[in-house]
Amino acid sequence: MESVLLLSRIQFGATAAFHILFPMMSIGLALYLFIMEVMWLRTGKQEYYHQLRFWLKIFVLTFAIGVASGFPMAFQFGMNWAAFSAFAGSFFGNILGFETTIAFTLETASLGILLFGWKYVSRTVHLIANFLVFFAASLSGFWIIAANSWMQVPKGVHVENGVIVIDNYFQAIFNPATLVTYTHTMFSAIISTLFVIAGIAAWALLKKEKTVEKTTFFLNSFKYAIAIMLIAAPLQVVVGDLIGVMVAKYQPEKFAAMELHYDTNVQGQGAPWSIIAIPNAENTGNDFEISIPNALSLVTTKSLTGEVKGLNDFAVENKPSRMESILTYYSVRIMIGLGFLMVVVSLIALWYWRRGKLTVEAIDMHPAFLRFWVWSIPAGLLAMEMGWMVREIGRQPWMIYGMLRTSNSLSSGLVDYILITVITAIVAIYVALMVLFIYFVRRIVEKGPDFNQTI
Amino acid sequence: MDTTTFELLPVIWFVIIGLELALYVLLDGSNLGIGLLSLLPQKEENRSMMLHVMGPIWNANETWLLVAAGSLFGAFPLVYAIGLNALFVPAVVIAVGLIFRAASFAFYDVSSYGAFWTRAFGVGSLLVAVGHGLLFGGLLSGITIVDGHFGGGPFDFITPFSILFTIGLLSAYVVLGYSSLITKFDYALQVETFPRILGAAAVTFFALLGATLVLPRMDYIFMERWTTAPTSYILYLIAGAIAAVSIVLAYNAIMKKNPEQMHFFSMIIFVLGFAGMVVGIFPYIVPPAVSIFDVASPDQTLKFMLYGIGPILPIVLAYNWYLHKVFGSKFNREDAGYSG
Repeated sequence: MESVLLLSRIQFGATAAFHILFPMMSIGLALYLFIMEVMWLRTGKQEYYHQLRFWLKIFVLTFAIGVASGFPMAFQFGMNWAAFSAFAGSFFGNILGFETTIAFTLETASLGILLFGWKYVSRTVHLIANFLVFFAASLSGFWIIAANSWMQVPKGVHVENGVIVIDNYFQAIFNPATLVTYTHTMFSAIISTLFVIAGIAAWALLKKEKTVEKTTFFLNSFKYAIAIMLIAAPLQVVVGDLIGVMVAKYQPEKFAAMELHYDTNVQGQGAPWSIIAIPNAENTGNDFEISIPNALSLVTTKSLTGEVKGLNDFAVENKPSRMESILTYYSVRIMIGLGFLMVVVSLIALWYWRRGKLTVEAIDMHPAFLRFWVWSIPAGLLAMEMGWMVREIGRQPWMIYGMLRTSNSLSSGLVDYILITVITAIVAIYVALMVLFIYFVRRIVEKGPDFNQTI
Repeated sequence: MDTTTFELLPVIWFVIIGLELALYVLLDGSNLGIGLLSLLPQKEENRSMMLHVMGPIWNANETWLLVAAGSLFGAFPLVYAIGLNALFVPAVVIAVGLIFRAASFAFYDVSSYGAFWTRAFGVGSLLVAVGHGLLFGGLLSGITIVDGHFGGGPFDFITPFSILFTIGLLSAYVVLGYSSLITKFDYALQVETFPRILGAAAVTFFALLGATLVLPRMDYIFMERWTTAPTSYILYLIAGAIAAVSIVLAYNAIMKKNPEQMHFFSMIIFVLGFAGMVVGIFPYIVPPAVSIFDVASPDQTLKFMLYGIGPILPIVLAYNWYLHKVFGSKFNREDAGYSG
């Protein structure tokens, strides 16, 4: 029982961590493509048309891998987590059904026209199809986030005869976690993708042999990405703060684990925010920590001495384990660090841009700057992965917070050697997909845009 | 679990999911059949054409699987839970096959090793088709349920029935694939393919006949359906219709004419077979003991889903039709590059 539980968690975690990268990049790229097509049709400039055609090639890859790696996700709810599906299916399954029926079908059909419709449909229909790809991908994301948020803050339902019964759909779908998480996730998708676009452009600009045409093209990609990022990255910091406040209110155990905050602060004294902490073996306090006095109270309650509940206030069986708390804590810190880093590097890029260093003539003089951006390609995606670690590991020991334990969510008759085989196969396939994805993106970029391409 | 009070909403959802599944099997069945064909010995050029002819539509077709799965999860969560719990291994096989297939489509055009990806496409299609056979075959063989949970072993799905059913389904997909291929473009081997269609159809017939004969745990209901009115009349009518269409198909194949009709006729056989299966087991959804009335979500969910999904389905159908229309016959090889 113990081993199949752990194995099933590993299996789901591995599948989810890999899968999420691709829909996120698809959402971001879809937005970029839509902006490019609008600009092309408004200005008539070929420059935007080439941007559209070129990045569409990479979108095809992210979309295809996203779809393919999504099937094991959807199936696993029945395969490994049958008790959860039977318990919550009448809401959770319903929402996933909305995702596939309302959103995903629209996305695939529109994508068919976006990819192959150049000669077959009018420009207006093509633009609408492009918009619908972005819209449907975002709508898909909404349903997934609504379903997951409901697992965090399960409002609008009660339990009857061992299964949930829905009292209020609106409360369940728009539970307190949904909209703030959705906003956070959408910004994350956009920012992560822009870092990928900017990084890929920087990599192409570092190449020794390149034409003026090609340099202009990738400089433009870089600049468009930076321009959108300068709007999105600072807003994300604000939304991130909102989500912290939401967690503190609705999932205080998770919030305490996120901060490795053990003892509730005494009235009149503020709770400190630690930068590094190592909890003791008994999981009752920190052996070592470096912290800023009163900062946790300030961030959470907007008051220097506001009360923040500590881990010691919760029963052992209702809060994350020591290891889960440590993972949650450091994931938060890596995410926040990357978040601020991304704001700073966007500002540095703006400074380079304003100083006229991002031009065909000057760009070759700044290889260090470009190399830095190449290394930053995974920054947004890594921050996003960390965010999901916090959200999912921090919710333990619950599958549905306060309602269904992860240990009571499993399928029956699971066998460890089958799970080990499946995990090995899935990880091997995903590693191969990742290697192929990077390899083919490299090839597409090396080949560069086709400037002779007409409609 | 044998309370079978009749209620309308579960029946509506059963019909909707049945239609979604039928559409999936029809649309993606053709694609899978083409994938299986690509594994047979032939010129590499043909394989590449097979891949290209599906370029714009395979993904939209595959979507129906997710739509059916999503609807099933919401409307009959216990079926989704018990079914996938019991059929863990076939579900993994399908998922891995779908990954292979999607990767082949995505990487084929950007790769210099086209032959590798046409093979991966064939292998992926084979895995998905085998997974389908074992999944449905395993389900129809009956699932052991103890206290409302799956109570059997991980390899219960391997039965004489599921194996024969898988063989039958694979060859049926081949028939569907062949016939769709010869209508889609000037498939160079048009005339030569007719005997192959005939062969595949014969394998389908004998495998499914054998499967029906070895179906042990279904007989409690299945035999009753064949012997009592009114279901017996419907089933004999369906069987008669399948026989009649098969004879016309076989005649065309032997006389090497009317390729356009073949796809239509083979789809008709699929639909009839599917309808026969539904008439044979309704209202049981997880044989031998679970009926749709036992496992349906509460009425409020079924209603909410109906309001949400009901109006959308015709729209989805319409734009899928539009997609098939736009890329149907006038689609030519030069435009087929998947990378746009």
